[in-house]
Amino acid sequence: MIGYVVEVVQAALVLLLAPGLVGLVRAMKARLQNRRGAPVWQPYWELWKLFQKEVVISSNASWLFRAAPFVVFASTAAASFLVPVLAVPLPFDAVGDLLVVVYLLLLGTFFLSLAGLDPGSPFGGMGASREMTIAALAEPTLALAIFALALSAGSTNLGQIVARTMTDPASALSPGHLLAFIALFIVTLAETGRLPVDNPATHLELTMIHEAMVLEYSGRYLALIEWAAAVKLLIFFSLLGNLFVPVGVALALTPGTLALAVLSLLVKFVVLAGALALLETRIAKLRLFRVPELLSVSFVLALLAVTSSFLLK
Amino acid sequence: MPTLFSQLAVLGSSLALIFGLILLWRRSLTAYVTAFAWQSLVLSVLMVIVAYFGRDPELYVVAAAFFVMKVVVIPRLLTRMQRRFSAEREIEPYVNTATSLVVAGLLVLFGYAITRPLVAVSQLPTRAGMPLAMGLVLVSLFVIISRKKALTQVVGFLMLENGLTLLAVLGTYGIPLIVELGVFLDVLMGFLVMQIFIYQIHETFESIDVEQLNRLRH
Amino acid sequence: MFVMLLAPPLLAALLAAVVKPYRVAVGWTGALLSLVTLGAAVMVWRHVAAGEVPTAGPHEFLRADALSTLLVFCVSAVGALGAWLGPGMGGADVYDRAQVRRFRIFSSLLTFAMLVAVTSNNVGFMWIAIEAATIASALLIPLQVTKASVEASWKYILIGSIGIALAFAGTVLAYFDFVNLTGAREEALNWTVLMASAPHLHPPVIRLAFVFILIGYGTKAGLAPMHTWLPDAYAEAPAPLSAMMSGVLLAVALYAVIRWEAVVNAAVGRGFTDSLLMTLGVLSIAIAAFSLVVQRNYKRMLAYSSIEHTGLMCVGLALGPLGTFAALLHLLNHAVVKSMMFFLAGRVFDRYGTAEIGRVSGLLRTMPWTGGFFAAGVLAIIGLPPFGLFMSEFALFRAGFAAGRPWLMGLVLALLAVAFVSMIGHLNRMLYGAPPADTPVGEGGAWPLVPLGLCMAALVVLGVTLPAPLETLLEQIVHIAGR
Repeated sequence: MIGYVVEVVQAALVLLLAPGLVGLVRAMKARLQNRRGAPVWQPYWELWKLFQKEVVISSNASWLFRAAPFVVFASTAAASFLVPVLAVPLPFDAVGDLLVVVYLLLLGTFFLSLAGLDPGSPFGGMGASREMTIAALAEPTLALAIFALALSAGSTNLGQIVARTMTDPASALSPGHLLAFIALFIVTLAETGRLPVDNPATHLELTMIHEAMVLEYSGRYLALIEWAAAVKLLIFFSLLGNLFVPVGVALALTPGTLALAVLSLLVKFVVLAGALALLETRIAKLRLFRVPELLSVSFVLALLAVTSSFLLK
Repeated sequence: MPTLFSQLAVLGSSLALIFGLILLWRRSLTAYVTAFAWQSLVLSVLMVIVAYFGRDPELYVVAAAFFVMKVVVIPRLLTRMQRRFSAEREIEPYVNTATSLVVAGLLVLFGYAITRPLVAVSQLPTRAGMPLAMGLVLVSLFVIISRKKALTQVVGFLMLENGLTLLAVLGTYGIPLIVELGVFLDVLMGFLVMQIFIYQIHETFESIDVEQLNRLRH
Repeated sequence: MFVMLLAPPLLAALLAAVVKPYRVAVGWTGALLSLVTLGAAVMVWRHVAAGEVPTAGPHEFLRADALSTLLVFCVSAVGALGAWLGPGMGGADVYDRAQVRRFRIFSSLLTFAMLVAVTSNNVGFMWIAIEAATIASALLIPLQVTKASVEASWKYILIGSIGIALAFAGTVLAYFDFVNLTGAREEALNWTVLMASAPHLHPPVIRLAFVFILIGYGTKAGLAPMHTWLPDAYAEAPAPLSAMMSGVLLAVALYAVIRWEAVVNAAVGRGFTDSLLMTLGVLSIAIAAFSLVVQRNYKRMLAYSSIEHTGLMCVGLALGPLGTFAALLHLLNHAVVKSMMFFLAGRVFDRYGTAEIGRVSGLLRTMPWTGGFFAAGVLAIIGLPPFGLFMSEFALFRAGFAAGRPWLMGLVLALLAVAFVSMIGHLNRMLYGAPPADTPVGEGGAWPLVPLGLCMAALVVLGVTLPAPLETLLEQIVHIAGR
């Protein structure tokens, strides 16, 4: 019973914290660029503003255009139930398989691409095709990278992977884990539309990938999509943090351990956000035809991670 | 549960292999030389670790010679060559980057397959890194045959030597000192000869693109 | 005795390095020193034929058994030829003083390295010496810097170094297996020690090691499919260097293969090495035979013929003791004839200024002795009696039929016939017809023909009979390596 409560609390926490995480990354980037920048809770104001605004839809759009934001938000929120954020094991973990999470995220990407194509605008089509190219390489890498961890843990259940790593800390230093971490980090950059794959702050349509698909959206639809993107970033950060460095993840569902879990989660978010901000400030965006090369590197690293875990058991 | 020694050995070998993969990913010749220097550094540190845990004092000497030769001398000579020819980028190779990387992954798997009997036979705690060393050897071979600039081929050859040294260190804690020093000398000579030849190629062909070397057929 | 064998080429190289600018006296001293080495080689032969196995140095570092002796003799003989017939002996030269000096230094170093390779008991040092020989020969290929020679030398050093590196991998793997077994260190790389412990080595590891070694040393020996450097290198190198490389460097690489083959056979039986050697041998013969058909350059023609003969030797090694006997006899014959042929090709090149078959005609009219020897040499290479190669090839076929492989021998015979027809065709085009207008007639500088004539005579002797000392030596070798 208490497990379900913790699950709901976890999901609510994810949804609430997500815009703050995006704001944190933006604030850190601003500081690194010697600007003052907007405060950390700026994205919350933006979401509030968007929910108030009127929705304007192209006359060429179909029902898909109106449904897509809900599908994207729902699938991403559903994934937040299954990812080990605060505690393991939780009741929904029985469903919380690696493949389920990957496919939920892919569902969101898929519908977003369709929605980009739907109104018939050329930028939407361009964004959709670019997104699909990236997703085609990133999704298998995502699966492989976590699979490498699953091999040493003996199960593809994410909660079990975390629990296993907690009982065997030395395995976190094994080459399989390290290679998988690098691969997963590169995939995070690709899936969440961050530099060097995609610049989230760009206003030049020809350089957009994610932004191009949502160019036609406005009002509450845009709010849902932006919120879903922030949740996706938080989910990936949780995966990076908790799968590889499961320090502080609660094993027992007591208030003390849960509080510790929240604290350690926040620490990990700050560290990862800092790393991301630093990376985005230092690296320039890759030319589009070079992105598959980067993703191939991460694919090979994930492949090597799987091989290491498989053959070095 | 694997010991710290074997963990470090595998970690070092993985890093060496990853530096080798850089040759397939990046196009800048400076990046290649840097990757080679870092890879050699990782290998010298690994040799010191093996010397310490394996209680083999000869290996300290080998590590020192290796460091001087491959982290200091050869990268310096390579950078000088590269600046002299103002050769900055590798042009489009025979096999494009994404395919090269996938082929490299397959080659590492193949390396795992063929070193299975070795790992089965060995008793040493460093045996787990041997497949990675073999993978590095195969990937370096692939680099040599699929790249078009003579300088890249030389760096590929040097990485091949690194891979073989790694294999020797992991498998047998190094070969006898005298032989090892002779091998170093030979590799250094070979490298110097290659350097001379690249100068000659540049003088005669005005570029170090090996596609120009196509006069001799049949 | 080993000092007498190894010191002279080293001294010759040092002398040539020290004396700057080059003087003819240096060349003559080097030539005389090479005769000392040849004498030492004959002495070694006498000792070994009497049943001793001379050794020298700590841990039996240098060791001359029967196999070493045969190769020591070949290397010193061809080395002497190179020293006497190379540039810088006082006659008219195409090369300037700096180039001749470079030639003298590195050809002596090449001879020294090859001698160390075949007398070293330690397989690690054998490797080091072969690598040193590769480097020394590579530096001489672009003696005259042209686009073609630069390309040839680059291919040679790159492919050769890769091959050598793979051979090193094989050596390390075998050493790894041995060390896992016994843990001994210093003598572990001694061939004698490896042979003694061979039956206890792990089969899968040794098999993997042999694959690397065969690919690695096979690259240096000119086995297909790693042979691509060979025609370019031999065609662009100066003729004396091609003679040394084709005659004996190939043989030294093959020597390394034979040494390791003996160890692997003792460990896992003949079947594995036999099938590998057979495959690569037949492949080499096939590629060489078909490449000979389209040849337009007589130096490349000789190069492909070298590939063909290396292939034949490998096939012989795979056919049991009789085959090994034939293969080693073939090694000796080939060393004699190929070096002679390349020196003759050098003379033709100096006269006609081109290496293209189409532009060389009327050879018999312009240089009757050279042309005659050249023709005889080609007939010898393609295996006609009364020359030595006929005997060794005949012995090879006999071994093949005795080993129960008639179809294989038939295939090899057919391929040799293809090579036969091609080379006779090329030879005819060169020998007859009218020479190009401004070609001087007459031998000019005929004295190099004397040692070449001696080679010819030796070839005929080997074709007619098998001298007793040679027979004993070959039988001893079969005992070591052919079981």
